[in-house]
Amino acid sequence: MKFRKETLRESGAGARREAQMGTDVESSLTSSEEMREVAEAVSLYRSAMHHMAEQPRPRPAEMAKRAASSFRMRLVLVPALGAALAAAVIAPAVSHMRHPGTTAVEHTPAVQAPATDVAKVDDRQLMDQIDSDLQEDVPDALQPLADWGEPAATTNNSVTEKK
Amino acid sequence: MEEIATTSASALAGGPGGGTELAIEKKEQAVLELADFDEVVRVYRPRILRFLLSSLTDRDAAETLTQECFLKAWNARHQFRGDSSLSTWLTRIAVNLMRDHLRSRSLRFWQKTRGQALDPMDISDWLPDGRSSPESIALARNRVAEVWKAVGELSAQQRSVFVLRFVEEMELEEIAETMRMNLSTVKSHLYRALAILRERMGGAK
Repeated sequence: MKFRKETLRESGAGARREAQMGTDVESSLTSSEEMREVAEAVSLYRSAMHHMAEQPRPRPAEMAKRAASSFRMRLVLVPALGAALAAAVIAPAVSHMRHPGTTAVEHTPAVQAPATDVAKVDDRQLMDQIDSDLQEDVPDALQPLADWGEPAATTNNSVTEKK
Repeated sequence: MEEIATTSASALAGGPGGGTELAIEKKEQAVLELADFDEVVRVYRPRILRFLLSSLTDRDAAETLTQECFLKAWNARHQFRGDSSLSTWLTRIAVNLMRDHLRSRSLRFWQKTRGQALDPMDISDWLPDGRSSPESIALARNRVAEVWKAVGELSAQQRSVFVLRFVEEMELEEIAETMRMNLSTVKSHLYRALAILRERMGGAK
């Protein structure tokens, strides 16, 4: 009851206060247009503040949800990113330490791969060439007989011609 | 902090006959008012929250300090003698809490203390829907945002005086009593606050 009385008293004095506020603003502002604008802005500000404070906090659930979700995201993303970064940085370093020549060895076949092909081709050619050479060089098994028979025949002929 | 709840009992000594009786009656009323503390919280909470919200521009801090204010009032309720109105007494507690908070915040400069700071456009969302055209709504929102920004640039004392005068609509004498200032100091702070506000709103000559 007493609160109501005070509230009524306060609201009854509202007009007086408005008038005094007007004089406060008026005393520091010179232009009437400017005064009106500032007084209106202050009035809007007051009503916004009143409205805001009178309402029960409107967005605690939203804010809590947002905070929780961002916290959850951070909880998941930060370790995941950390792990990925660690894997990206540490794994090559460790593998490099374990196998220092790996990279050189890995590069060599890539460069030498055509060379091995060439070598393979050369080998084949070489083998073919060797085969062909061997086949050419190996004489016929009856060749000596053939060679032996021919001079005899010529010798006989020459003897008979002498006779 | 110790000055929160102590109010002088000098009023009994002053004023002849009827005036003294009235003063005593008012005091008794104020003390009785405090007896029903739930009702006190219900009636005065919006006012204290509003003051702290306007002064701190931080909803979380304002909510916390409002709760603290009523907790301190509850703990110090036996020290309240009704020399000032209950509203003034509670506002004084809030002013002292706010000063402590601002002091501690300036010490904890490395902390992000204004994490829940209100955005000016959020404030203007709270405007009552009494406007017809979108243009007038946008204009009103802009004006509120400008005032909000300008108030944020005031010194702590200027801001408190401005808020108590133009948001809480307190009399200058009441502000002087609440802030423990001379009336001339209150007027001076108010004048400067309005000058800054005019300048920020683009009306400087």
